[in-house]
Amino acid sequence: MERADISRRDVILGTAMTVLSVGVVRGQRSTLTAQQVVDRIRANVGVPWGDTTTDGFKAGDPATVVTGVATTVMATLDVLRRAAAAEQNLVITQEPTFYSANDEPGNRAVDPVYLAKKAFIDQQRLVVWRFSDHWNARQPSEAATALAATLGWSGYRLPETEQIYQLPETTLGALIADVRSRLNVRGGLRVIGKPAMRVRNVFVSPGTTAVLSTLLNLRRADVILAGEPREWEVVPYTLDTWSADRGKAMIAVGRIVSEAPGIQACAAWIRSIVPELPVENIARADPYWSAGS
Amino acid sequence: MTAQEVVARIQKKLQEQGIAWRAQTVDTFKAGAPETAVKGIATTGMATFDLLRRAATAGKNFVITHEPTFYNHTDQTTGLENDPTYEAKQRFIRDHNLVIFRFHDHAHALRPDPLVAGSARMLGWTQYASPTEPRMYVLPPTTLRALATDVARRLNGRAIRVAGDPDMNVSRIALGPGYGVPALAPSFDVAVGGEAAESGGNAEYVVDAAAAGQKKGMILLGHMMSEDFGMKEVADWLRTFLPDVPIEWVPAGEPFSSPG
Repeated sequence: MERADISRRDVILGTAMTVLSVGVVRGQRSTLTAQQVVDRIRANVGVPWGDTTTDGFKAGDPATVVTGVATTVMATLDVLRRAAAAEQNLVITQEPTFYSANDEPGNRAVDPVYLAKKAFIDQQRLVVWRFSDHWNARQPSEAATALAATLGWSGYRLPETEQIYQLPETTLGALIADVRSRLNVRGGLRVIGKPAMRVRNVFVSPGTTAVLSTLLNLRRADVILAGEPREWEVVPYTLDTWSADRGKAMIAVGRIVSEAPGIQACAAWIRSIVPELPVENIARADPYWSAGS
Repeated sequence: MTAQEVVARIQKKLQEQGIAWRAQTVDTFKAGAPETAVKGIATTGMATFDLLRRAATAGKNFVITHEPTFYNHTDQTTGLENDPTYEAKQRFIRDHNLVIFRFHDHAHALRPDPLVAGSARMLGWTQYASPTEPRMYVLPPTTLRALATDVARRLNGRAIRVAGDPDMNVSRIALGPGYGVPALAPSFDVAVGGEAAESGGNAEYVVDAAAAGQKKGMILLGHMMSEDFGMKEVADWLRTFLPDVPIEWVPAGEPFSSPG
């Protein structure tokens, strides 16, 4: 049941975006190849290209002429099918495609799920390019700015900070409810703190949450809005603030949910530097449901 | 007996069980003086500040923890020095003459791994352990939803996350400790573990497997809900060769809630 609901919602989202793109005026059919699109991204990203980076082509032929670009947090098989159906043959993904950090299949080289995904990419002549290190290196953080914007907080950033937003004072419970509905989180939301506590300053930290920078930010912030905090690092630290009589809260929404607004912003940025091509983001739902529900 | 002598006894016992003490290991003293006389031992999944208070109240001045004390894997304190939470925790440790030792690498080296066996026992799965495949449990067939509900009830976990079709049939379960969630494969239905990166692994495999018509499930218990119970097994093991010291398992507990 639940999966059917998600698929339906995703289809509706996808349709809405396709309709929006119709308004984009384009001239002759573009002959840009995937390599040329990537070259343009590299030339415009504003971050020196690293020698050791996970960003790069993960599947397909870079010489392929691009008919459309899809950005996504993660190029799952479902996302690839939707991209192919929309004639978006260049898929730009924030996270890995083949189940490991470097996209090497390893033991899964003979795995039927890996093989099905690889076969689909080959049959559809899709090109998959990963864009993570360099997009995330832009300052201020595109992911944090976009996450805050999705929450309606764009005007609230404390100017002397990069990722702390000062909200009209509220309770943690009310903040949780707002985050849950605006980010469309299902089972992935986890919390440290007391619902009745008053909160104002939020440290917006999508993706991973580094220990030392979090400690510094918690001198100002009451709450961390986290993606995927490590449970032997920032999680026990947040717990310990309660024993040290300076109780801080954490709302963890999961990596995928926390990065979704950032990659949507990435689609808009790519559109601005590659105006010849349709560029759309393909949304993914929170992968989790809660065992208690 | 001093804390240092307790550790020497642990090392000797491991040696007898065929496990040599590693030259490179995170299993070291993290706070306090090793020559402190031990009044009692508390084993736990993580030496949180709250856990230290409870251990001190229970008269256990030697804390043996599976996970770090100071918020990173190697308990580096550089950069923490002026942090008010860190300072308060260190002050509490000093004021109560606590000693903290980490028991991680060598705990996982025991056979069976007590961190897996402890979770299996809490889950009621011990009888279902595969005789040939470590970490594999073959349960009477059920659904992913029913399995997850039973897991949450038995562990009293408040923030257990599940991926996969709730109505899929499941029987073969791979159980891993902490960050070691088993990589999903055709040979089993569900991976159960503590925490996992949500990229580069099972999270997208679950979604792709469903899209490819091969249903898989994953249950993330949370790191403490996955390893706290194993330190109860470690307490039982310590009692077998440290009969003169009071030893108690003091769980760190579920850190999260999952409101609304």
